[in-house]
Amino acid sequence: MSEITLSGLEKRYGDTLAVEDVSVTIDDGELLCLLGPSGSGKSTTLRMLAGLETPTDGTIHIGDEDVTDRPAYERTTATVFQDWALFPHKTVIENVAFGLKMEGVGKTERRERARGMLERVRMESHADENPMNLSGGQKQRVALARALAVNPDVLLLDEPLSNLDKRLSEDMQIELREIHEEFEETFVHVTHDQDEAFTLADRIGIMAEGNLVQVGEPDEVYENPKNRFIEGFLGDTNFVEGTVERTTPDSIRVETELGREVVLSTANPDALTEGTSLTLSLRPEILSTESAESGSEDDATGRPALADGSTTNSIVGTVENVLYRGSTVRYSVAVDGTSMFVERTVADSGEFDAGDEVRISWDGADVLAFRDDGSRVDL
Amino acid sequence: MSGTHSSLPAPVARVWEPLLERSRSKRALLLMAPLLLFELLLFVAPFLILLRISVTEGSTDLRYAPGTWSLEGYAEVFSTDVLLSAIAYSFKMGLTATAITVVIATGYAYAIWRAEGLLKSVLLFSVILPLLTTLVIKTYAFWPLLSPTGTVNDVLVSLNLISEPIQFVPGTIGVIVGQVYIVLPYAVLAIYSVLSTMDWGLVEAARDLGASRPRASLEIVVPQAMPGIIVATVISFAWSVGAYAAPGLLGAGDDLAFALEVEQRLLSNLQWEVATAYALVMLLLMLVSVAALTAVLNVFGGEFEYA
Repeated sequence: MSEITLSGLEKRYGDTLAVEDVSVTIDDGELLCLLGPSGSGKSTTLRMLAGLETPTDGTIHIGDEDVTDRPAYERTTATVFQDWALFPHKTVIENVAFGLKMEGVGKTERRERARGMLERVRMESHADENPMNLSGGQKQRVALARALAVNPDVLLLDEPLSNLDKRLSEDMQIELREIHEEFEETFVHVTHDQDEAFTLADRIGIMAEGNLVQVGEPDEVYENPKNRFIEGFLGDTNFVEGTVERTTPDSIRVETELGREVVLSTANPDALTEGTSLTLSLRPEILSTESAESGSEDDATGRPALADGSTTNSIVGTVENVLYRGSTVRYSVAVDGTSMFVERTVADSGEFDAGDEVRISWDGADVLAFRDDGSRVDL
Repeated sequence: MSGTHSSLPAPVARVWEPLLERSRSKRALLLMAPLLLFELLLFVAPFLILLRISVTEGSTDLRYAPGTWSLEGYAEVFSTDVLLSAIAYSFKMGLTATAITVVIATGYAYAIWRAEGLLKSVLLFSVILPLLTTLVIKTYAFWPLLSPTGTVNDVLVSLNLISEPIQFVPGTIGVIVGQVYIVLPYAVLAIYSVLSTMDWGLVEAARDLGASRPRASLEIVVPQAMPGIIVATVISFAWSVGAYAAPGLLGAGDDLAFALEVEQRLLSNLQWEVATAYALVMLLLMLVSVAALTAVLNVFGGEFEYA
């Protein structure tokens, strides 16, 4: 039983508040990713879990035990550190066997178990080498084997992939996933990389300024972000400022900086009153783009096509920049003095050049809206 | 490139071959010339003179008999009990002072390493400060502190911890305290310089894997600090065995260190052949024991690079 409960966790360094309020229950066998920008308190939270920092307030339970004040060496957690922290004066196998040595496991047995763990991470051929002579990916595997060798209830991973190149990091993500399934242990993985979190996590906990803002399954946090920060952090999006102009029972019209109204569909028209300022998020994946000549005529009037009550919006702009990003092409489009971006896959028919007129359209039901304080409007 | 394989022993070859490689360039040799000249004039030449004097005959009206050849200086060293017991005393005192110094220095260096901000500066400055005071003054300072009428005895008596004052100075305890005080700053700096490059994350990793604080220090910090500890040991040992000031200023009549005996033979008895032979025997013993010490310490995980 290794369910972890953090409640009201706080860590203060003098006047600096590193972690303000973190409360979450991590299920047994779950892989939770703590995702946040640097300085958001995610590593400090992990270090408190490991027992390397003492919280200034709040409690930590692993299973049924309160481990808040228990030192690191008496906890059933093991950590893979960002810089791997391999012992330079010990060989690879001595590194892996270190935890077992501390437990008092005899030399023959601990070497045998360490060798087994090295085989699991395909590093057995390097057993007698100095870890300092290994490559980043190999060090990473040894660090993982060293932490797993003590058979911890909880494996804590502190940005262990951030020092690896992209390709290696992606391979390791898949391998970590496999190891997680194989060992059936609770993993807490700290990262600032959204892709890494989406690949690995059963649930993602998003941290900002010392607070755990939202915890949920990857698709849930992506599609239902709690606030503007999460929407901006989890992927590139177009934020458009605007003011509510008029509400109807099923739609909200917002006057925007794009120079025209954007219509949102709503089931909850009372959520907003006229004059409220909003930030709308137009993610590239909800935007479709086509050449402006093929579009309908009504754009000239500056009014969205809404005759049948649908909330399809469209605007026309001029392509300013074309950015090839490998599998996708990103276009930066000037619309009435502001600019927004759209993406198309290379396979999409037709490419645009700078100066082309394009029509961008989207369904108003897909747009998320946020108030000035960052909170999401429940549409 | 040259294809010549050296038959030198590996440690010697490791030092020698890069030098050989470099000296092929005349420019490098030219740049090294002042240093070579300096070493030649101030170390090699005097050493050879010393060696020559040690194999001369004694003389009744001169310090030694120039131009003669004899091993009587060495014979005198090995047959005089006072000289042999002074060697034993110096080694015992040196080993004790070294052991105490290295233990304190390791702890102190660890404290500097872990301290932050002002405390770190204060701890570091306290090591440097004694180096700014002359050796004689700081050694004599132990008289008012450790003599039977000194501060330490006053305090101990007034606290009723002892009934009678203890004579630390003059005496062997005083010599050891004084010697430790002299070499401690060098030992601390040698160990700290190595520790300061060490990553605290390694200690955290060890604790995370179940090592208690003392265990983590023993398993992780000490082996990592070993190159510094070896340097500290060699400095402390070489200096303490050859110590002159501490035994001379703080010792009692039976604290006859080897350096004091050399002085006696050199300046009072005017037996230079004996003094030089004695010094060379001691030098040989020192080289052997330093090599042995280093070898022993190397077993404890410090991969000490010679070059």
